[in-house]
Amino acid sequence: MDYPIWNLVFGGGVLIGIVAITHVLVSHFAIGGGFAIAFIETLAVRRRDPALRGLAKRSSLMLILVSTVFGAISGVGIWVTIGLVQPAATSALIHNYVWGWAAEWGFFILEVATALAYYATWDKVRPRTHLLIIWLYVFAAYMSLVVIQGIISFMLTPGRWLETHSFWDGIFNPSYLPGLALRTGICLFLAGAYLTLAALRETDRTARVGMVRLLAVFQIVGVLLAYGGYRWWEHVLPESVKAIFLGSKALLPALASTRYFVLWALTVYLLLSLFALAAPRLHRWPTAVAALLAAFAFFGGYERLREGSRKPFVIRDFMFSNGILVSEIADLNQRGVLSKAVWAARENPGPEGKGVAVFRAQCASCHTLDGYLSIRKLVAPVDPDMLNGILATMREEGNEYVSGRYTDKGHVATDKLDYPLMPPLVGTDDEVEALASYLLTLRPSNVAEANHGK
Amino acid sequence: MENSLIPALDPAPLPGPPWLFHVLWVVTFLFHLLFVNTVLGGSLLAAFAGLARTGRREIRTLFVEVNAWAISFAITFAIAPLLFMQVLLGRFFYTATILVAWAWLGMLGLLTVAYYLNYVAKFRLRAGKSAGGVLIVEAACFVVIAGIQVTVNLLHMQPARWERVADQAWAALSDPTFVPRFLHFLLAAVAMAGALLAWVAVRRARKGGATEALSGMARFGIRAALVTTLLQLVDGFWLLLALPEDVLKAFMRGGPATMVPLTVGILAGLLLLVVLAQIADPLASPAKVRRVAELIVGAVVFMVVTRHQLRGIYLASARANEQVTVSTQWGPLALFLVVFVVCVAITAYALVKAAKDRPQPGEDAA
Repeated sequence: MDYPIWNLVFGGGVLIGIVAITHVLVSHFAIGGGFAIAFIETLAVRRRDPALRGLAKRSSLMLILVSTVFGAISGVGIWVTIGLVQPAATSALIHNYVWGWAAEWGFFILEVATALAYYATWDKVRPRTHLLIIWLYVFAAYMSLVVIQGIISFMLTPGRWLETHSFWDGIFNPSYLPGLALRTGICLFLAGAYLTLAALRETDRTARVGMVRLLAVFQIVGVLLAYGGYRWWEHVLPESVKAIFLGSKALLPALASTRYFVLWALTVYLLLSLFALAAPRLHRWPTAVAALLAAFAFFGGYERLREGSRKPFVIRDFMFSNGILVSEIADLNQRGVLSKAVWAARENPGPEGKGVAVFRAQCASCHTLDGYLSIRKLVAPVDPDMLNGILATMREEGNEYVSGRYTDKGHVATDKLDYPLMPPLVGTDDEVEALASYLLTLRPSNVAEANHGK
Repeated sequence: MENSLIPALDPAPLPGPPWLFHVLWVVTFLFHLLFVNTVLGGSLLAAFAGLARTGRREIRTLFVEVNAWAISFAITFAIAPLLFMQVLLGRFFYTATILVAWAWLGMLGLLTVAYYLNYVAKFRLRAGKSAGGVLIVEAACFVVIAGIQVTVNLLHMQPARWERVADQAWAALSDPTFVPRFLHFLLAAVAMAGALLAWVAVRRARKGGATEALSGMARFGIRAALVTTLLQLVDGFWLLLALPEDVLKAFMRGGPATMVPLTVGILAGLLLLVVLAQIADPLASPAKVRRVAELIVGAVVFMVVTRHQLRGIYLASARANEQVTVSTQWGPLALFLVVFVVCVAITAYALVKAAKDRPQPGEDAA
């Protein structure tokens, strides 16, 4: 909040979502794909099967182009985007997990070097050496997931870290293992789905059928593991998180729909994988592409669900999505939010700019003016009394976070609040009034009056 | 200076002693820079290989093959210094990047385009086709990326310039040291890539006998290194004199700690010039070509130290009241060190094995 605010028309969260989902699709393929290629080449060597060898070789170029090129750049891309959109959260994560990320970097060096060496040494080294290189790649790639999963899951379920601030408590948080199982399944089925496309290019029909069947097994195992991991993940979530998208009265219907979408996508994918296993001759481009799309749909949907269910936090029970810490609510109510949000105050000086500044500081991390979660649309049907009532309630909810009246098993029970998906409003009376005045100017009647006055 | 615009220090303690982060930052940045210089200088030399009398195709082929690895490693080795820098100076760095957010984000697009163009060039050259145009666009992308990096680097250590840049993003380029610093970067990269080119040509000639193409490669590399090193000496002094007066004075008053690395770096540059000037036929002077490569790497090492010290001086007043608390995470730190050492050792083992293991006659290849 004390950083400059990047004014993105479509919202910073959307940008992070685009970059992150693109990256995870690629990075999980990099892990699962490496494993599948290693497995296939091992079989090819043992069986002296040139067709399987050809499949591994064809797929390895894709692995290089996808993993070491796009995966590496999009991985850096996540750093770039979260630093631009959520600098305070990025700083908090770095201060807690720099050694975890640094360890992952060690694995990444091995991963990149072995990926490049593997591709470069086809037809050059002995098969044993070639297999050694790809299995080292698999080890390094999976270990990087083992580390990173700790940091990703920490943001949703920090668990005991909230009391101890211990690195290990944060990494081995309640959703760590379920998420790891789920992601391992995703790695496997993505590999199966991608490599099936490479297998379909095989001209020898008998060989192709065997490949499709083998890759169908990958996908079925992956789907089952992902499903088990997903259910386990749901099970370990705090009640207040579950309330957001589970149950008959989910707090965020869009997220509840996403959950159904995710489970249906997985079901469709399982059926297509079973079809590939049972009728590999009939499994051609249309069904293979449909399977890949179902895989993407499940994974993208799950990521959306995981990110969305963190609301209103960026690090659950610690930091809100606008960068305000739970621990600083009382202080900011006293000193004023603009005492911290110096950049927002600077961009909108004077009493007339105060409302805009408060909006930029507290609301702009999620709401745009006219784009994503448009504030203009949201305030359009609201009259002044109603708006003041909403803002007063949101401000009072800050006290609930501070007093902990609604806390349950160490978590803030956000589902008991009137506005469970929004950070509380903080600041002085003066700032809240300024915000209300500014929001009222965004209503259509005001715009019409202003235009009429001109 | 508008210190009130500097974001507050992160409330979490540093997870290790600051000196350790500085050491790790400088060391990992050095490796990053060596790969970056190879990529940037190599892509420029590949793009301008048409200026070589002979061996143009070989020059281009060498750099696209090298860059397929070097770009990956430049990115991989960017991660570590970026991590360690954010622990120490995150609040300055994030602010600078947000002020030029579109350029910073655009860097990713340029990097993606450049990386894939390198593969396009690689496959075109392998197929016997020309790749001149592709290589020029690739080099242009890397030059712009270098410019963005220099811009953010200068901006993060000068909070006094933030307000102006917030009002007008192009003001980020108005720093008097921008041009000499940018040139310093480009010239060093080309010099290093030139030395690499000559060194590879010499090694190949030793294995397979001198050819006209190898001679052309070596001469082009040495000439590029000579011209850029000559210009670098002029630019280096321009950069030094363009520094803000208080920074320059503080740097000069830093005693041996600041003056020794700078002096050694300059001496390495001068010596490099002397050695380069003595090379008439690179293939006939392999020892001197090797000395050129060593001197360039040596100069880069000392200039990285100087660069880091300058940053400290630039930021001294902005960080004067910083109350840093340290709570070392010993277990995770040990985990990192063990993982790093083991992974680097396995990487070295795998690469050596990949380079040396060859099937015996009658034995299958992978």
